[in-house]
Amino acid sequence: MRKTRLSDRLLQISTMLSTLVSIVGLGLIFQFVLSRGLSLLSIDLFTSNYYAHNYIAELKPYEEMTYSMPNFDDEDVYVIERYGLALRQGIDLAGNGVVEVEYVHPDSPFNTMISAEVGVDTVDMNANNIIDRISYVDHPTSLSRRGAEVMASELNDPQRVINQVFFADLGGGIRGSLITTMWLIFMTLLMALPMGVLTAVYFNEFAPVNMLTKTMRTFIETLTGVPSIIYGLLGISVFVPLTVALTPAVNTNLIAGSMTLAVIILPIIIRTTEESLRVVPQDHRAASLALGANKTQTTFKVVLPQATQGILTSTFLAIGRIIGESAALIFVLGAIVRDRVSIFEQSTSLAVHIWSMMTDEPANIALSSTIALLILAVVLILNVSIKLSVYLFEKRGKQ
Amino acid sequence: MMEKVISVENCDLFYGDFQALKDVSLPIYRHKVTALIGPSGCGKSTFLRTLNRMNDLIASCKVKGSIQFNHEETYGNGYDVIELRKKVGMVFQKPNPFPMSIFDNIAFGPRQQGLKDKVKLKEIVEKALKQAALWDEVHDRLNQSALSLSGGQQQRLCIARAIAMEPEVILMDEPTSALDPIATQKIENLIEELKKDYTIVIVTHSMQQAARISDYTAFFYMGELLEFDDTKTLFVSPKLKQTEDYVTGRFG
Ligand SMILES: Nc1ncnc2c1ncn2[C@@H]1O[C@H](COP(=O)(O)OP(=O)(O)OP(=O)(O)O)[C@@H](O)[C@H]1O
Ligand SMILES: [Mg+2]
Repeated sequence: MRKTRLSDRLLQISTMLSTLVSIVGLGLIFQFVLSRGLSLLSIDLFTSNYYAHNYIAELKPYEEMTYSMPNFDDEDVYVIERYGLALRQGIDLAGNGVVEVEYVHPDSPFNTMISAEVGVDTVDMNANNIIDRISYVDHPTSLSRRGAEVMASELNDPQRVINQVFFADLGGGIRGSLITTMWLIFMTLLMALPMGVLTAVYFNEFAPVNMLTKTMRTFIETLTGVPSIIYGLLGISVFVPLTVALTPAVNTNLIAGSMTLAVIILPIIIRTTEESLRVVPQDHRAASLALGANKTQTTFKVVLPQATQGILTSTFLAIGRIIGESAALIFVLGAIVRDRVSIFEQSTSLAVHIWSMMTDEPANIALSSTIALLILAVVLILNVSIKLSVYLFEKRGKQ
Repeated sequence: MMEKVISVENCDLFYGDFQALKDVSLPIYRHKVTALIGPSGCGKSTFLRTLNRMNDLIASCKVKGSIQFNHEETYGNGYDVIELRKKVGMVFQKPNPFPMSIFDNIAFGPRQQGLKDKVKLKEIVEKALKQAALWDEVHDRLNQSALSLSGGQQQRLCIARAIAMEPEVILMDEPTSALDPIATQKIENLIEELKKDYTIVIVTHSMQQAARISDYTAFFYMGELLEFDDTKTLFVSPKLKQTEDYVTGRFG
């Protein structure tokens, strides 16, 4: 009697301990990603290019004057009234000290400059650009590594006349990967959703129950558990050559990536849809048939609409899977970050972007964490959407 | 002589090896209510389903004999089962409205036949709801989900849905068994009304119900039709001992 009690207690404690460990583990991941990634999170990250672009420019003729500047309540910001410019001592995504442009006055000669590059007329300097160096006539050049404060004081020196400004776009953005991810979601769902739903309808409504269809169902169930790297192999041996043959693509590409993802999410969609078809009351089918509707009408007008909620859930699950997939995509889509995305070329999804940065030397943990944060947020939103849609459908059904 | 809408002659029905109906012969008279009674498992539902060929859905089911609807063999070669079901509607034991609006539920049948005209559909819906004595209760909320109705209202909606197809016969399989006494009362009154325009075949476990609403009663026992007569005769002076025992409640 006493012994059973003790073992019961132990079992109970072990369930609590396990829960504690898993919660702490998951919490630590969130905490890590949040602490590393949060600082970089900004709109610029989503809109700017990954690769920095360098510019060389000269000032247009301008009038010497003193610009009235806004008040910067920040000790890292240095104001240059002479040019209507404010510089900030910042750090780049890799953690090196850089001179950032904080503010450019609308009338500043820096606002629109003459490009020193062939074939380009003017070039604009914007906030968040990075100044590499500024050369002067008959004076030593201001270098970014000596810091924003020194550069600002040299610019404020009335003796100096600017020869050329060397500056750059910030870079490090994820716009390209974001666009690729959206393309992937769109094209993959376009292929897999109708196919998956129709397959589920076939299995659940039309297929005869025999050895063959049973085997096929089990096969599809099994596919859900296959590691995605194997789908990557399928993609590289089938979809990449196929797209190379049929489209302008010459290498791994976005279309092949979407096809591979479509195969990955197909079992999810089939299964979830089938599950929701299965719970449609047999009585509804009977009622429809008894009203003189045929089998097809019954299936598409009575049964399938009742699976809408399940199909929506499967779509959300699929989107989560698409966003999270990396292994297979490295094979079929590539791991080279692109700013200009084309469906016939290689690019990276957000998840592969992380992989690509973590395999860089040195690994960019900060930006990876920020992207991870984004992915986590989207997955969270998707899960909440599933719950919400279930709730809304239930509510609407009762109205 | 009364006109037969449906005439069943020597009908045998098998589920695989199991014979569920044995040599059943039964007329269904036009504009009359025919009640099917008998202990559980005796084949009432099975028989009912042969009349609109809903048994077709059961793969193992085989039917022999003759079942004529308006003098046509419904199990004959090339007979259009869709046409049969349009003319022989069905109401199920559990109210089973589709999860759509009240309007869409009733318009469903006509729509599947290709009717798109909004005005026509509206007329049909209104007429069906009025015939099913539901119009007054729902006319101001036709766009609400049918699931928002009470069980009794849902069952009358299902009757309206069947009526919307303008059938000749309506089959009802224990239509009030899931309802409370007041809702049951309403359906019984409704059947009384519907008899003027439709032929009704109703399965029921309630002797009182059969006695109250039906003109003819068929007593089934273990797959056989033991006795068929006009209701009064069958209840007051049955020919068989088994029938008497059953209708007086002395029997399982
Ligand atoms: N789909 C089926 N497959 C095999 N046997 C069936 C099937 N449906 C009914 N049966 C059998 O046929 C017999 C008659 O069933 P049926 O449902 O017609 O009885 P019932 O008179 O309607 O009974 P209840 O009053 O309980 O509804 C029963 O023995 C039943 O087990
Ligand atoms: Mg029954």
